[in-house]
Amino acid sequence: MIKRTLKTWLLWELVMGLALTGRYLFKKKITVQYPEERTWLSPRFRGLHALRRYENGEERCIACKLCEVTCPALAITIESEERDDGSRRTTRYDIDMTKCIFCGFCTEACPVDAIVETQEFEYASETREALYYTKDMLLDVGKRYEPQIASNIAADARYQ
Amino acid sequence: MTELFINDEEVTVPAGTSILEACRANDVEVPYFCYHPELSVAANCRMCLVEIEGWPKPAASCCTPVAEGMKVVTQTEGLEKDRAMMMEYLLINHPLDCPVCDQGGACKLQDYAVEHGEGKGRYIEEKRIPNDKDLGPFVNTCMTRCIHCTRCVRFADEIAGTGDMGVLNRGDHMLIEGVVEDALASELSGNLPDICPVGALLDKPSHDVSRPWEMTRHKSTCTQCPQGCDIEIESRNDEVMRIRPAKDGVEPWICDRGRFVYDAFRSDNRLLSPKVREGSALIDVSWDDAITRAVSLLKGKRVGIVFSPDWSVEGLTAIRLLQDVAFENAQVAFELHRRDTRPFAFEEGLSMSTKSIENADQVVVLGSDLRQRLPILMQRLRKRANANKPITRIGAMFYRTNADLAVDVLIRPRDWHAVIATAMVQLNELGKLAAGMDAWIEKVDARHDAGKRLADALIADSCAMLVGEEIRSHEDAATLIHGIDLLMRAAGHAEVGKDGRNLLPEGMNAQLLSGVFGDIRTSAGDLFGAAANGDLDTLLLVGSDPVGDGLFSRQAKTALEKVDLVQVAAISGDMGDYASVQLPAAAYSEIDGTFINMEGRVRVADNPLSTLGEQRPMWKVMMRLVQAMGCDVPAVNLEEVRAKVVELAPACAELADVWSGEKDARTIFVPSARNKGTSYLPTLTEKTKTLDLVGRYSIYREGAWVRASELLVEAGNIHAMDDVIVHPDTLKELGLSEGKLTVVTDSGEFSFDVGLRTDVSPGVVFVAKRGVAGDLSTETSVDLKGGQS
Repeated sequence: MIKRTLKTWLLWELVMGLALTGRYLFKKKITVQYPEERTWLSPRFRGLHALRRYENGEERCIACKLCEVTCPALAITIESEERDDGSRRTTRYDIDMTKCIFCGFCTEACPVDAIVETQEFEYASETREALYYTKDMLLDVGKRYEPQIASNIAADARYQ
Repeated sequence: MTELFINDEEVTVPAGTSILEACRANDVEVPYFCYHPELSVAANCRMCLVEIEGWPKPAASCCTPVAEGMKVVTQTEGLEKDRAMMMEYLLINHPLDCPVCDQGGACKLQDYAVEHGEGKGRYIEEKRIPNDKDLGPFVNTCMTRCIHCTRCVRFADEIAGTGDMGVLNRGDHMLIEGVVEDALASELSGNLPDICPVGALLDKPSHDVSRPWEMTRHKSTCTQCPQGCDIEIESRNDEVMRIRPAKDGVEPWICDRGRFVYDAFRSDNRLLSPKVREGSALIDVSWDDAITRAVSLLKGKRVGIVFSPDWSVEGLTAIRLLQDVAFENAQVAFELHRRDTRPFAFEEGLSMSTKSIENADQVVVLGSDLRQRLPILMQRLRKRANANKPITRIGAMFYRTNADLAVDVLIRPRDWHAVIATAMVQLNELGKLAAGMDAWIEKVDARHDAGKRLADALIADSCAMLVGEEIRSHEDAATLIHGIDLLMRAAGHAEVGKDGRNLLPEGMNAQLLSGVFGDIRTSAGDLFGAAANGDLDTLLLVGSDPVGDGLFSRQAKTALEKVDLVQVAAISGDMGDYASVQLPAAAYSEIDGTFINMEGRVRVADNPLSTLGEQRPMWKVMMRLVQAMGCDVPAVNLEEVRAKVVELAPACAELADVWSGEKDARTIFVPSARNKGTSYLPTLTEKTKTLDLVGRYSIYREGAWVRASELLVEAGNIHAMDDVIVHPDTLKELGLSEGKLTVVTDSGEFSFDVGLRTDVSPGVVFVAKRGVAGDLSTETSVDLKGGQS
C-alpha cells in the first residue's frame, strides 16, 4: 500500500520511461543515412531481375517457360525458337516490372539459374516504359551484377 | 461377353478383350507406354503390369486376355515397386531434359515418373547417346529420349504401310532407325509425334516454339479434302500454332496436308485486310472503299462467279443468295475438275460411311489415287487389305497404296466404255439385269478384259464402288456413271440400305452444292472461254484458284488477263496477281459454320478463333456486297442464312434441327443426290490423238491453302515426280527415248522433259497439274513426237 502510494507520487513509471529514453539518447545510433549509407542485404533479397550467362558467354535461359507459367502476376512474356545450332532459345524475354510482385517464384522455377533477382532496388523511373524490361536489358543487368549474383547463390546454396 | 473382377468391382467386357482394354473401358487407371488402341500389341514396356489372383507373377495387362471370373488387382504395394523399378530402368538412358523438350507438360514418361517413379535416380554411370535421324521436314527426332516402345515402328508398318521405321539390335544396344532417304514416304507421317509417348519424335515445324500448357484448343473441321476430318486447332493468342486430330473424332489420324497447312495460317499469303489495286501494287484500304471499288467493277457488268466448294454451308448458300438477288444472269461455276456438267445418275458424295466401306465384302476403286486424294480413307482400305479382304482397282496407273490389292488392272481412260460394257455382258450372262443395259451395251463394240474383273467384284454380297477422278473428270462422265449405275442396279448394290454407289467428290459440301447450285451451274471451262472471248466484264472469284488447280488452267489464265477480277478469299495466293479488289473472308478456323463431308457427316463449328485481321465470315461479305449493289438483303444474321439453306437445299432439312439444338450433329447424315431417270447412251467419237492424258494429283501441291504453306511445298518438292510421265513401252512403240520430247495437242505443241515409270498404263501420258506441265491438264488426248517444238 505504502509502496504503491510512493510510486504514484514520485512518478516512478515516468522516471523509468525517461531513463529508457535517456539510455537510447546516448547509445550508438542505428539510423542509416540513405543514400550515403546502406543497410546489409540478405543473399535472398529479391530485387531487380537479371538473366545470366555462363562463363563462356552462352546465355543460360533455355526457354522452358516455367517462369512464365508460374508467374502469379503474369508479368513474364517469352517467345522461343530453335536456334541454328539446334538449341532451344528465347527470341523474346520480357518482364513487366509494373506487374511484378517480386515473389521470386520465377527464380524458384528456373532449372538453370538463368532468371535471378539481384539485390538492386534502385531502378525507379519517371516513365512506365522504362520499367518494361526486355531480354537485352535483363542480360545487361546480369552482366553488371554477375559477381554479386554468383556470391549470393553460393551463400544460399546449402539451404537449397 | 466375359465377366471379371477388376479391383473387386464386377465388370463385363467382350470376350477376347485384353485386361488393359477392360480397365480402360471401365475407367481404371493402368500406366502404359507401348500400348496404342489402333496398333498391334508389342508388350515391351512392361509398365502395365497387374496382379491376377492365382497367378504366380504379375502379368502384362495389354497382352493378357480376360477370362471368366478372373480377379485383377491394379494397385498393390508389390506393383508399385515393380512400376518404380520399371521407371528407373526407362530413365537410365533418358536425358531428363524436360525443360527443353516440347513434350514436357504432355509427356507420359514425365507423368509416370512423378506418379510411379522414385524421387531420385541411382544411376551415375555414362548414358548412351544414339544419333538423331533426319526424317524430313515434318518430324524432328531426339533419339536419346527414346524408350523403345516401338509405337512408331508399328505405325509405319501397320498404318502408313511404308515400313520406313525399324529396330536394330536388342537390349541396351536397341536402336530405332529410319529407313529414310529424304523424308518419310508416308502422307500420315505427322501422326508419329502424336503417338510417341515421350519427346523422341516431335513436330518439326513447331519445334521449340510453344509449350502444351499455352495452347487454347478449338474443335473444327478440316476442309483440305472431302474427308472433312475432325480436328483440334491449337492456338496461342489467337494465332494458329498446330493442328491435331480431335480426340473424340471419327478417325484417330489426320494426314500431313490437313495438319501442316497450319503454316499457311501464319503465312504472308493470308488475306487479312481489304485491298485494292493502285497501279501495280495492292494497297490496304477500308472495307467501305474496297466495297465501293468492287461494286464499280460489278454493277451493270456481265459477271461470272467462280467459287471453291470448301466454304461453310452458310457461306456457300450466301453465294447463291448473292447470285439470285444481285447477279441473276451471272454464270456460276465451282467444279474445276468436271468436264461434263450433265447431271450424274449418282452425284458427288458417298452413300456409305468409311467404316462400312472398310467392312464391305468387296471394294472396287475405279480410277482414283486414293492415297494422295483421301489418305484417311486409304488408311481404312489398307487396314482392310491387311486383314486379307479383297480390293479391286482399275485405273490408269498403279497408284501407290502401300497395300496389297487383290485385283489391280491398268487401262487407258478411253477404254472405260469398253470395260463397263464388258462387265455388263458378264452380268447379263449370270442373269443379273437392269433396264437400259442392253441399249448401253449395243452402243459399245469394244470389249476389255478389265470388265471381267469388274464383274467378278460386283457379284459379291455387298460391294462398295468408289468412283474416282479419272471417271468424274472424263469428258463423257455422265454416260460412264450411268453405265456404272446400271451395273450396280443389276448386281443389287443400289437398293436402300445396300447402296454402294459412291462418287468421290473433289471438295467439301458436295451434297449441299448439288442441291443449291444444281440448276445454275455451268462448266468452268465454258465460263473462262466466255471471259476470254470478251463475253464477260468481271470475274468474281470466291476462294478458288483456277490457274493452280483443276483442268482449266490455261483457259483461266487467258480469261484473267482479259477481265477485271474481284477476289474474295482467305488466302491471296497467285490470284492476287490478277485481282483488282481483294476482300478478306474468314478461314475455316475462324467461323461459326457448318460443314458436310463426303459421307454426309455434319459438323458445326461453334468455338472459332478470333480473327487476327479484318476478315469477315463469307456470308457477311456476300450480304455486304448485296447491300452495296443496292438490292434487298435476303438475310441479315446467321439464323436467317441458315433458314435459307434449308429452303434452297431440301436434302439438308435435318440441319435445322442440329442448329436449333434438337438433334446431335453426329446422328444425322445428309444424303448425296441421285438423279433418277437420267439416261445417257455412249456416243463414241474416234479420238484424233493416240495417247490419253491424265492429270496427276499431289497431296502437297493442290489447293491455294497448300501452296501457301511453305512446309507442304517443301514436302511436295521432295516427293515430286517428273512433270510428264509415260510407260517405257509407250515410247518404244513410238520409237522415241526419254528426255526432251514434244507433246502435240489440239491447241499447240509443247516440249517437256518426259520421265519413265513402269507403273503407268501404256498409252497414257501423266502430267503433274501443278508445275510446268499444268497447261496440259485441259487436254484429254495428245501425241508425242521427238525433238523440240
